[in-house]
Amino acid sequence: MAHSTHTLEKGAAKAAPAAAVYSIRRPRSATAKKMFPYLLVGPAVLYLLAITLYPGLFAMYQSLFVVKFVNWSWAGLGNYTRIIQDREFWAALANTAIIGGLSLSLQTIIAMTVAFYCYRDPFVRGWRIVFLMPMLFMPSAVAFIWKLAFNDGRVISDLLMSVGLVSNNVDWLSSVWLARLTLIVADVWQWTPFLFIIFVGALQGQDEEIEEAARLDGASWGSIFWNISLPMMRPIIVVAVTLRGIDITTMFTNVYIMTQGTPGGATETMSYFIYRQGFRMFNFGYASAASVLMLLITIVIAQTIVKRAFKSGKS
Amino acid sequence: MASILLKNVVKSFGSFVGVQDMNLDVVDEEFLVLLGPSGCGKTTTMRMIAGLEHPTEGEIRIGDALMNDIDARDRDVAMVFQGYALYPNMSIYENIRFPLRMRQVPKAKHDDLIRRAAEMVELGPFLDRKPGALSGGQRQRAALARAIVRQPQVFLMDEPLSNLDAKLRASMRVQIKHMQRELKVTTVYVTHDQIEAMTLADRIVIMNKGVIQQIGTPDDIYSNPANTFVAGFIGSPPMNLIAGTAQNGTFSSAGIRVPCPANLSGNITLGIRPEDCQIGGDNLQGQVYGVEPTGDITYLTVRTANKNIEIKAGREFRAPIDSAIAVGFDTSRLYFFGEDGYRVGVN
Repeated sequence: MAHSTHTLEKGAAKAAPAAAVYSIRRPRSATAKKMFPYLLVGPAVLYLLAITLYPGLFAMYQSLFVVKFVNWSWAGLGNYTRIIQDREFWAALANTAIIGGLSLSLQTIIAMTVAFYCYRDPFVRGWRIVFLMPMLFMPSAVAFIWKLAFNDGRVISDLLMSVGLVSNNVDWLSSVWLARLTLIVADVWQWTPFLFIIFVGALQGQDEEIEEAARLDGASWGSIFWNISLPMMRPIIVVAVTLRGIDITTMFTNVYIMTQGTPGGATETMSYFIYRQGFRMFNFGYASAASVLMLLITIVIAQTIVKRAFKSGKS
Repeated sequence: MASILLKNVVKSFGSFVGVQDMNLDVVDEEFLVLLGPSGCGKTTTMRMIAGLEHPTEGEIRIGDALMNDIDARDRDVAMVFQGYALYPNMSIYENIRFPLRMRQVPKAKHDDLIRRAAEMVELGPFLDRKPGALSGGQRQRAALARAIVRQPQVFLMDEPLSNLDAKLRASMRVQIKHMQRELKVTTVYVTHDQIEAMTLADRIVIMNKGVIQQIGTPDDIYSNPANTFVAGFIGSPPMNLIAGTAQNGTFSSAGIRVPCPANLSGNITLGIRPEDCQIGGDNLQGQVYGVEPTGDITYLTVRTANKNIEIKAGREFRAPIDSAIAVGFDTSRLYFFGEDGYRVGVN
C-alpha cells in the first residue's frame, strides 16, 4: 500500500517511523547550505554597518564641506586647515590629554593597589560586588550626583570645612585646576572599578604554586607583586588601560553636565568641543572634520601602545 | 645542613584531620621519602615543614630552632614543586638568580653560583631561554637548579617527577639522588610512586589517612612490613594478601595450606610476595587465570576460590588458561597479619 505523508496520523506515524516524517522536507541545495551562516550573521552586520560605518563615512564626507543645514558648499580640506590653526581645538586636545591622563593614571594606580591588597582575601567576592557598584550607575546620574556634591549642593565644601581643610566655600568652577579636579574625581569614582575587576581577576588567576615558590625563595609579598605578578599581567594591563583610555578620550557626559567647559574652556574636552561646534554653532562640516581628526589620533595612539607593549612582552 | 623534628604535629582543616599526631625525626643529610596514596597527608606534612601551612598543634623544628611562627621566607628551605613553578616572565638565568636576589646575596657572586647550579643539572646551554621554551624535563631541572643555587638547609620536593614521562623520570631519579649525596643537604621528598621511594630514600615514611604506618629503610620496609597496608602498598606487583584461618600450626584458605607458627589461631591474613612463589609444590592448588610475559619475567595469575594470586614465574614459563596448576611458597618468607592488620607470629 502506498504511504502518503499527507495523511500521516498517529497510528501511521508509529507504523512508518521517523524516515517517512523527515522525508517531507526537501534536501537543501549546496548554495543554500553555504549561504546559511551569512544569513545568520547578516542582521547583526547590517545593524553594525548602519550605526557605525555609515555615520563614519558620512562624517568623513561631510568634513569636506562647509555645511549650514541644507546648504553644502565644497571646501576640500578647508575645514582641516582651519582646525589646525584653531587655538580652541588645540586647547581641547590638551585638556583631554591632561584630564584623561591624570584620571587614567589615578584609576590604574588605585585599582592595582586595591586589587593587590584583596586578591587573596577570603571576602574578595564581596569586595568585587562592592567595588562594582559605581559602574552600574547611569553615567548622567553619576555626573548629576557629583555636580550636586561639588557645585550645587556644596557637600564636598562642607565636608572639607568640617575637617578644617578650608575656611570658606570652595567655588570649584572658579579655578582651572579645581574644575578639572571635579571631572577627574567623578571619572575615577565611576570607572576605577572597571580596572579593579580586571586586575583582581588576573591576580586571582595567577598560579598559587608560583607565589609559594617565590615565598620560599625569600620574596616579600611586595617583591612577588613587583617581580612576578606585574610582568605577568602586562598584556592584561595594556588592554584594560587602552580600553579605558579610549573611553576617557571621548569623555562627554561629565563635562556636559558638570562644567560645560568652564572656566574659560579649561575643561572643554575634544568631545565637548565637537559637540559645541556641531550643535551649538551648527558648523557641521567643521565638527565632522574635528571628529575625523580625533578618530585618527585615537587609533594611532592606541595602536602604538598596544603594538609596543605586546612586542616587548614577547621578546 | 640541619635535622628536622616534628613533635606531636596535628593538622586539621575544619573537621577533617589531614595529619594526626605525627612524630618524625629527619637526621641531618638524610634523604627521607614520604610515601602514600593521594590524600594521605604527605604533602600537607611537607607544606608544614616549608611554612606554607601551619600546624594546628605540635612543634616543628629545623636544626634546633622552633619553626612554628617563622614565616616560610625565613626558614631557609628550598622547595621543588610538582608543576615546576618557574617564573614564566623570567629567563632560566633570572629564575635561578631570583632566590639570590631576594636573599641579598652579593651581586658579584651571582653569576658564578648560577652557572655552577646550572652545570650541576646540565642546563648550561638553556640559561637565556624562557621556561615556556623548555621541555618538561628541562623545566624540572631548572626548578632544581633554582632550589640548589642558594644552598639551603633543607630541600623539599613535592612529587617533582610525576609530570615527566617514564624514561625521563628514571634518569632524573638518578640525577636527584646523586645531587643530594654531593650537596649533603637534608631532603624530604614526597611521592606516591613506590619505585621512586625505594630507589631514592635512606628511609621511607609510609603514610595513610594522616597516620604514619611505618618508618624504615627501603629494605626494612620491603622485608618487614608492619601491617597489611604497607605490605599491599610496596612491591610491584604488591604482596598477595590472603584471608584464612590458622589452627594447630597450619594456615588454610580455599586451595591454600601452609605451615604457620603454632601460637596463631583464628582469622589470619597470609602475606606472600609474588617472587617467593614457585611453580610446582603443594601450598597452592588453582587454575591459571592469566599469563603475562614481559621479556625478562612472566607474571602468572592463579585463581583460587577466594582470590587471584600473583606470581612471578621464570621468563620461559607458559601455560594454557584454565589449566590446573600447583604452586609452592618459600615458607621462610611468609607473613601473617592479625585481624587488626598488624603483623603477628614474628619471633
